[in-house]
Amino acid sequence: MIDRSVLLQFLFSGITLGSVYALIAISLVIVYNVSRVLCFAQGEFFVFGALTMIALTALGIPMWIGFLFTIILVSGLGVVIERLLIRPVQNSSVGTVITMTVAISLCLRGLGLLVWGREAHTLPAFTKSKALSIFGAYLSVQVLWIIAAAAIVLIIIWLFFEKTLLGMSMRACAENRLGASLVGINVWKTTLFAWAWGAALGALAGVVIAPLIFVRYISGTMPMLKGFTAIAIGGLTTVGSVIAGFLLGIMEAYTIGLISSEFADAIVFSVLILVLLGRSYGILGKAEDGGM
Amino acid sequence: MKKNLRWLIVLLFIALFPATLGRISPYYNTVLILVGIYVILAVSLDLLIGFAGQISVGHAAFFALGAYTSGILTAKHGLSPSIALLAGLFVSGFVAWGIGRAVLRLKGYYLAMATLGLNAVVVKLITGFASVTGGASGLLNIPPFQIFGLTLQDHTHYYYFVWGIAILVILACLGLAQSPFGSALIAIHSDEEAASTLGIDCPKYKLHVFVISSMLAGVAGSLFAHFMGFIAPDDFDIFTSILVLVMLFLGGVGTIYGAALGAAFLKLLPEVTYRFQNYELFFHGIILVLVLIFMPRGLLGILTDAKNRLLGSGHLLNPPPSGKELQPS
Repeated sequence: MIDRSVLLQFLFSGITLGSVYALIAISLVIVYNVSRVLCFAQGEFFVFGALTMIALTALGIPMWIGFLFTIILVSGLGVVIERLLIRPVQNSSVGTVITMTVAISLCLRGLGLLVWGREAHTLPAFTKSKALSIFGAYLSVQVLWIIAAAAIVLIIIWLFFEKTLLGMSMRACAENRLGASLVGINVWKTTLFAWAWGAALGALAGVVIAPLIFVRYISGTMPMLKGFTAIAIGGLTTVGSVIAGFLLGIMEAYTIGLISSEFADAIVFSVLILVLLGRSYGILGKAEDGGM
Repeated sequence: MKKNLRWLIVLLFIALFPATLGRISPYYNTVLILVGIYVILAVSLDLLIGFAGQISVGHAAFFALGAYTSGILTAKHGLSPSIALLAGLFVSGFVAWGIGRAVLRLKGYYLAMATLGLNAVVVKLITGFASVTGGASGLLNIPPFQIFGLTLQDHTHYYYFVWGIAILVILACLGLAQSPFGSALIAIHSDEEAASTLGIDCPKYKLHVFVISSMLAGVAGSLFAHFMGFIAPDDFDIFTSILVLVMLFLGGVGTIYGAALGAAFLKLLPEVTYRFQNYELFFHGIILVLVLIFMPRGLLGILTDAKNRLLGSGHLLNPPPSGKELQPS
């Protein structure tokens, strides 16, 4: 019989992973819903967020300034990418668009390699205090930061999409780009905003997890794949993918802890395929056109 | 006639390479063997993406299945490589057949995500079952290829063998593309609903092209395993799938020749850019971005345009055979 505190420990690490996956998933979904582009460079925003923050902190800049600067910088990067690189191929085939986001990913990785080299970097914890002990399970303070950041950001996103004009126009674009433009919404401006959001959220995920992991210029692939899994389970909706992100994180933590750490990823990605297949047969929601 | 002459020159170049330039530096033979293997991968993916319009970002999964089936059967069970190659082809095709019907119901990004997931699962399983596959540290001591009792000993042998198969694959894919089968695929690509109203059994055709494409990737995998003598899961991860996709779109999609050209270009590019060391990755990204924005028909499109301009023959005088210039809609 496995100790209850151990199970609780797995739950904590699951929620930690889940927060990160939820942030990446929602960043993918916002970009996808507004611009109909699934960005294969999303993992690079994660890496750039983490590595920029690490570099700024290493320069002795206070963390909250570094944090703001990192988020603004990466969201600016997202805007530039949308305007210069995605828009010219926006109306091409899905294959061309995917290849373009892959090309962007290569460029960003190349850039990351030039700036940060091949080494792994990590960030000091946001605050230096001892891990808390809850029912015999340890909870590091950084984990609280991660969960708090995810919760605050999710509330901000909700307010933004429900209450602000820009947020509502983004939802209108997600619903129907042509219809949105007919009622006077500037679709391109809205798309730019979606990319700014997407890049910023990807960066945020990287920044908050950076103290717990080692980040290299190629570290973006796995988080991106987990994000894909979450949005596939969540059916490309914002709420669905956030829930799926948390579930995925918790499932992964328990799989690693209780079943097998070697096969955890294989199991997670099998879930991705099974969910998609279920979807293709009309189980678990409608088999949407997937952006064709 | 002129066209045949051009291909004759290309073939002659390929045939004479080891005896001329390849002799100066055997290293280039190695590079060109890998080019040949990637040509098979890219061309087979073109059947699926360029003709049938089904986006796969998991082609390396079948590359892996071919390589590991062949590698395990020869290195651990002492089977003859030519039988192992057929086994690799069979396993790749069988897995594609098993999952194909369900996976191919998905479209666009969902299909892309599912194939990506498939690739990740295959790599993780290979890494996980270390007792069979050698795990993350790789599968060692894969014997060289033998055919009709002849062992392929040096790189020149492999060169001819791999390129012989690559050219066969190109010809077979061209033949398929121009056959009624290919026309059906193009019909599915342009409009699946319209194709089914015309009586085309879309699920069947999509499944068939998926199986064919995967079997060819399996052959490439088997050749890779025997040539390298050592394979590791990293050789087949998602990055490899993405690389093949990039080759295809770089060269020009839906043309077969374009895929081959893209594979050759992208595999040979590092030979030029390696001296820039850390800038290499960045350059590759930039080149790809530029091609996608400014030359949507890929490198083959540039070559055809340049030829037409030089020889002064417009498109109207030289209409492309149906299907060959097909662009994805």
